[in-house]
Amino acid sequence: MKYFVSITVSIFLGAIFCLIFRVLLIHEYNWAAIAPYRFNLFSGWLVTLGISAAALVLSVFIGALLTAGQLSPHRLPGWLSRAFVELIRGTPLLTQILIGYYLIADAVGWDSRFGVGLVVLSCFSGAYLSEIFRGGVESIPQSQWLASRAIGFSGWQTYRFVVIPQAIRRVLPASAGQFANLIKDSSLLFVISVHEFTMQARETNANTYATFEAYLPLILGYFILTFPISLLSRHLEKRFSYEH
Amino acid sequence: MSIEATGLCKVYGKTRAVDDVTLCLSDSVQVLALIGPSGGGKSTFLRLLGGLEVPTSGEVRVDGKLLPTKEEDLMKYRSGNGFLFQSFNLFPHLTALENIVLPLVQVHGWEKPKALDRAKSVVARFHLTDHIDKRPCQLSGGQQQRIALARAMAHEPALLLLDEPTSALDPEMKAGVLDLIEELCQSGQRIVLSTHEMGFAKRSADQVVFLSEGKLIEEGSAESFFESPETDEVGGFLSKVMKW
Repeated sequence: MKYFVSITVSIFLGAIFCLIFRVLLIHEYNWAAIAPYRFNLFSGWLVTLGISAAALVLSVFIGALLTAGQLSPHRLPGWLSRAFVELIRGTPLLTQILIGYYLIADAVGWDSRFGVGLVVLSCFSGAYLSEIFRGGVESIPQSQWLASRAIGFSGWQTYRFVVIPQAIRRVLPASAGQFANLIKDSSLLFVISVHEFTMQARETNANTYATFEAYLPLILGYFILTFPISLLSRHLEKRFSYEH
Repeated sequence: MSIEATGLCKVYGKTRAVDDVTLCLSDSVQVLALIGPSGGGKSTFLRLLGGLEVPTSGEVRVDGKLLPTKEEDLMKYRSGNGFLFQSFNLFPHLTALENIVLPLVQVHGWEKPKALDRAKSVVARFHLTDHIDKRPCQLSGGQQQRIALARAMAHEPALLLLDEPTSALDPEMKAGVLDLIEELCQSGQRIVLSTHEMGFAKRSADQVVFLSEGKLIEEGSAESFFESPETDEVGGFLSKVMKW
């Protein structure tokens, strides 16, 4: 039994890797076909990097706002935040992008594909982040709240000096994972023709019919962005586990 | 300190944690010990006195002043006192020194250098100077509780409230913390503590209150309480806990 699982996993994953390598090796590459499009691909990668970085900042802001709403002692912001989070989490990102651009942005007369893409992506990621943040705040033991009250801290001071600094440490690993998701999710913005990485690869493919050569750079390009975050997330998890 | 409680009740759901306690302590009492079986209402009574809980009915006066029930006024009242918990409740993300300095600066509005001086002198008095830059997780239970005591008394509180300050400590650490508390008693600090340390209560308290099932069973000077308890319940309790 001890070896059974190891052997099964090795055979199964080994077979998948073999298949991938076979497909990749058997192909006759024609890199010259996509060479004229290399700057398009690179600019697409930069757009992905830019929109992800901007959405990261905006989504943290939105996530914090939604968390504050959900933890608010007042009912109205609580309900509104809860409804927003459930709506976002219960519908596909692709749908949100389409509705956001063709219905909502159109209705208010906003015609920036990049802008709308950024806002929709940030709202989507922000909703998930708010759940992570809320979990972080709620994981701070009651004894810390009690001690803060005993010292004479106000509610705001308790958050500012006791709860938030501790919660940030706890939510960093999960948030890093969400940031990696954000980068990958930005690839869906091609549906509203944001000229990001995936969109450029699709266009390159359409123009050259060099499918392999057009799409393979995507793997490398996205991995370069997400792998450091994955490493950072693991590092943070380790550091956090030492503290307790 | 004078403490007057009239028909004081605190009810949680169906539990009457403090049940119709009426009590009048004269100004000559400097150290009051709350004694009784676990779950008898000591902690709740202490929290009512410290303004961490609001009575369900009845009222308390400390030094002739009725304790407030509005959160803003309670916050101010609490900041004038010091509270020590059984489980220390230090802030784990701050060093020992920062734990003491933070409330001095943020609650009491002291300048940082003055707060640092004060914190260092208290820490020196408690023989903890070597540990000021450590975080709570790097300190033993006894050291943590001594830092927590330093935090509770650094602003020279009107009243120091100690909730079973040594219950979570091993005997040697217990002795170290009790030594400090006794030193505070002798320096004239006004203290109310709940405790299972009968020897300490007998030696350091002026007045003893015995609470069981939320009710005040007996109250008197420490001497008469331990030498000649009036009720069978207290007599039985004392003979049990003093046996070993």
